[in-house]
Amino acid sequence: MVERAQTNAAKRAPARKTSGGSKAAGSARVLGASAGKKSTKGKGDKAQAKAPDAASAKPSDAQRKPKEAAEAKATKRSKGAGEPSAAKRKKATGSRGKLAGRRDELLGYFRKMYEIRRFEEESARGYAQGKIGGFLHLYIGQEAVGVGISAALEQEDYLFQSYRDHGVALARGMSANAAMAELYGKDTGCSRGLGGSMHFFDVANNFLGGYGIVGGQIPLAAGTAFKSKYTQDGRVTVCLFGDGATNIAGFHEALSLAGLWKLPVIFVCENNEYSMGTPMHRTSPVKDIADKGPGYGMEGVICEGHDVLQVKACMAEVVERARTGGGPTLVEMKTYRFRGHSISDPAKYRTDEEVKTRKAQDPLVVCRKHLAAAGVSDEELAAIEEEIEAVVQAAVAFAEDSEPAKVEVMENAVYAPLEA
Amino acid sequence: MAKLIGLPKLSPTMDEGTLVRWTKAEGDAVDIDDLLAEVETDKATMEFRSFDKGTLLKILADEGATLAPDAPVAIIGAKGDDIDALVAKAKGGSAPAPDSEKGTEKSNGASEGKAKSEPAAAKGGGEPAKDKQEATSDEDDSAEDSRVLASPLVRKLARERGLDLRSVDGSGPGGRVIKRDLDGQAEGASDGAAKQGESSSSSAGKASTSQGASATSSAGVDASGLALPRVEKASQMRKVIARRLTESKQQVPHFYLSVDIDAEPLVRFREQLNAEASKAGGKVSFNDLVVKAAAIALRRMPKVNASFAGDELHFHQRIDISVAVAVPDGLVTPVVRDADRLGTLDISKKIKELAEKARDKKLKPEEMQNGTFSVSNLGMYGIQNFQAVINPPEGGILAVGALRDEAVIKDGRVVPGKRMGLTLSCDHRIVDGALAAEWLSVLRGLLEAPLTMLL
Amino acid sequence: MAVQTYRDALRDAMYEEMERDERVFLMGEEVGHYQGAYKVSQGLLERFGERRVVDAPIAEGGFAGVGIGAAMVGLKPIIEFMTWNFSFVAFDQIVSNASKIFQMSGGAIPVPVVFRGPNGAARQVAAQHSHSVDGLYAHFPGLQVVIPSTPADAKGLLKTAIRDEPNPVIFLEGETLYGLKGEVGGADDLIPFGKARIGREGSDVTVIAWGRCYYEALSAAEAVAERGIECEVIDPRTLRPLDIDALVTSVEKTHRCVIVHEHLPYGGVGAEIVDQIQRFAFDALDAPIIRVGSRDLPMPYASNLESLVLPTVERVVEAIEAVTYAES
Repeated sequence: MVERAQTNAAKRAPARKTSGGSKAAGSARVLGASAGKKSTKGKGDKAQAKAPDAASAKPSDAQRKPKEAAEAKATKRSKGAGEPSAAKRKKATGSRGKLAGRRDELLGYFRKMYEIRRFEEESARGYAQGKIGGFLHLYIGQEAVGVGISAALEQEDYLFQSYRDHGVALARGMSANAAMAELYGKDTGCSRGLGGSMHFFDVANNFLGGYGIVGGQIPLAAGTAFKSKYTQDGRVTVCLFGDGATNIAGFHEALSLAGLWKLPVIFVCENNEYSMGTPMHRTSPVKDIADKGPGYGMEGVICEGHDVLQVKACMAEVVERARTGGGPTLVEMKTYRFRGHSISDPAKYRTDEEVKTRKAQDPLVVCRKHLAAAGVSDEELAAIEEEIEAVVQAAVAFAEDSEPAKVEVMENAVYAPLEA
Repeated sequence: MAKLIGLPKLSPTMDEGTLVRWTKAEGDAVDIDDLLAEVETDKATMEFRSFDKGTLLKILADEGATLAPDAPVAIIGAKGDDIDALVAKAKGGSAPAPDSEKGTEKSNGASEGKAKSEPAAAKGGGEPAKDKQEATSDEDDSAEDSRVLASPLVRKLARERGLDLRSVDGSGPGGRVIKRDLDGQAEGASDGAAKQGESSSSSAGKASTSQGASATSSAGVDASGLALPRVEKASQMRKVIARRLTESKQQVPHFYLSVDIDAEPLVRFREQLNAEASKAGGKVSFNDLVVKAAAIALRRMPKVNASFAGDELHFHQRIDISVAVAVPDGLVTPVVRDADRLGTLDISKKIKELAEKARDKKLKPEEMQNGTFSVSNLGMYGIQNFQAVINPPEGGILAVGALRDEAVIKDGRVVPGKRMGLTLSCDHRIVDGALAAEWLSVLRGLLEAPLTMLL
Repeated sequence: MAVQTYRDALRDAMYEEMERDERVFLMGEEVGHYQGAYKVSQGLLERFGERRVVDAPIAEGGFAGVGIGAAMVGLKPIIEFMTWNFSFVAFDQIVSNASKIFQMSGGAIPVPVVFRGPNGAARQVAAQHSHSVDGLYAHFPGLQVVIPSTPADAKGLLKTAIRDEPNPVIFLEGETLYGLKGEVGGADDLIPFGKARIGREGSDVTVIAWGRCYYEALSAAEAVAERGIECEVIDPRTLRPLDIDALVTSVEKTHRCVIVHEHLPYGGVGAEIVDQIQRFAFDALDAPIIRVGSRDLPMPYASNLESLVLPTVERVVEAIEAVTYAES
């Protein structure tokens, strides 16, 4: 296990417990890997992950037990009184040899990330054709986060997402058919055409919704975690939100309550650097969202969100802690969206150069590198891509052919019946 | 120019209608939106309102007849129009109505002015059936300038009972007819006596309940520093007075006749009477004598003891004299029943009793209802003559002035005399000038020769 | 039947339902160790412990969301707002989440959460603490809005809210009614939503009133009865669902209607009821319907002004007089 600074509700204790000799106090902040070249690697990251346990994992991307030791270069943040901040980054130590044993697992991740990518591209087409309406927030560029998180969760764990929810829903196991049909406003959609892009729901996969009000889902996640603690059901809740959401009250109140009650919940900030069109340095008083965790009695962790393996490893660890009564964690996923905030956002607030640079860190590209290291051939990947293409095209056809959303469903879905 | 009036299609699905009741008679003036008849359709009993102005010259369909839409039911035109051809046409029965008639009917839907000034243009035709349907389908808002203010409930009840709301006094805000105004109203508008009795009784009843009216007042200045009027809420009595007298002056064509009588005999008569009455502990006033004399005059000339009631004239069997009594916040008119049959002492006692009750706010509604004629006396204030406002539905009111000493010429010599001014206000709709003058002379005869009251 | 205060009736409703169902818990500010800001939760902590009687920090948006989230996955939370005035910082959770998740999920996720607390003006607590929120929350489909006026209704309706209702319930207690005593039902006497209660029968005017205003309506009815005007006083008890049938039936009998509520008049529940009655009973009306609500002003502090803003017996009497065309 990696060492990390522990924080808990007793923030008044100045001493920060560390283990493994990592001395985070006074360590330099670690910037995200967002600038293409890392400005720095954490000075405090002596705490290199020890050998990750090898590829004993099942290949399934969504059913995986979070047992693998982290190999991620996750950076831990914890902040005690008198300690401005501390960040640690753990370096990925993957090598060809090690990845070879995770071939099937990686293929599973690739398959899902590619499905999300193609699904989103087809969503954009559908929107341009006028077949999809309303708001449409694409997940392109952030696939590794959703897929890596899902890989670290059990089926029964709860997951919440903001309005940028297609990718995470698919990662969690929703069928492309149900997802595309929802965008098309069809009765066969995952929310029967009542939710649309921003409000995907999939109870069977415990995907508890996409939420349109920034930060509105965060207290709900504390609520499902409260239930898990109340009933001791062993489940963990993961709640995703963007960097913009960390300025709103719901974020702070939910983290405060979760920290106070040590709820089994992971708050995952997908920091794609822009809250709509405003870069983070103009919206946030701190450079790293993870720094906001210690104020609520929980550890803040930074993770490179473009690498599905790092995401998975980081999440596996904090999920395990939550599941075993260790309380909540705030995880900051450093990521980037390649498209605008929404389909109607031309994203003129950033340079082409910036986007181009970041695309070098495209999660699919990174994953392909891992796959190559694991000995997967391009032909194999091409075959998968073809398969996925069929899945996505079938989803479009399914959505096209499905019955429109039904008036009686709308009318009957305002109040649950008494016998619910 | 006279025209045939067809049965309107009063519901979209009406195939035939039964003419339940005519509310206008031949010879009656008809205005646009006047209720002509009630027609029972497949849906309900509907109002058949006129689209024409003129005189109902001929009714062609009897009450109870069931007819198809557009069947001729009446002729409306100007008095004296030759209607033989139209009657013959209507009797032709199965013959389809000529275009010209339909064209004329079409003009029914046009504005009144247009229909009158451009009768020929209306003949241009068009789509009469369609127009007719449109014109008749919006019965609720067809009233326009003569719209009756009535609550939804009242409109529904009026439809059910076949009442013409235009003849009902509305006691609600702005004259709105409210349910109370219909309470006890007989079925059908023709029962005018009951209607009028009830409507006045309801008003009077209201006045009586209002006797406990409490005024709220506030004093102050407005923003510019000017003194504001002291604002009091109008009592119900004040509202009733205002409404009824306004209606009276606006709706009742008043005319006034004055006489100055020689009151010398009356003074002497009263002295004699009171010499006897005092033994019984009573005292008769001049006003009591005037009431008695007026009652006798009404008995002798019953045409003046009457009310105008729309299509009917009501000649009252009893002589019930309303006596105006001033009370602190207004005026009430308790009724001396059968005044013609009461002795003057009884009249005196009755008026005293009623006046006392009025001032104590203890008058019962029935003590203020259903007078047939009024007497109002301001003589005690030295008023010589005044013209009183009729208390509807009564046909007249006698205004009594002060008894005054005056030099009179008798037998060619100036001598001291007693005079009294009387002014009669009449509802010209039922009492004409000559009749009123005759009645006044009868009254004068009675007062100037009081013993003849015994005849 | 036992006689209890409104406060104790609410407490017993929660107590009995928590005994009955392990999934029910109470969360809010000062509900546990403090025994409730208004002592409605007195004794619950001792009986059920901190697991089920949860003191929350001052974070209405947060713990309202916790309640909603917990309800989404099978618990039956009772979320207490110290007063409903503070629910405004949780407005987004109640409106954007609680009222909509069932619909947004295509009918997949019910949200059986009860939000409760005192509603309406107390005494001289001024603009920010005097809101009557019934009109506000009744606006939203997806919410059930309950506003009991008697101890019996308080108990029976709260039990229904907790036990049977799979939807979010806005349960509005009368801040000035907690000490009111009356007979209450037993442990299994539930009162269904959407059933109005006729508090006084009469033939001349229907007076519709709820919450605290129910008592203003009854007093006004007493006052005008002396003059022969008989009021039928009806308490709808739940504003969503609304027992419009009962209201219309009464108006069809009396032909006149006065609506009394404490919340602000603009676009309020009274206006909604006026609309429905004029649509369903147009031909029955003998007078325009009159609403008596708070005046359209933020609540002032000064006592004399406050009493001018709140609906009073006198204003109800005036309205009754107006619709009966009577005079005072």
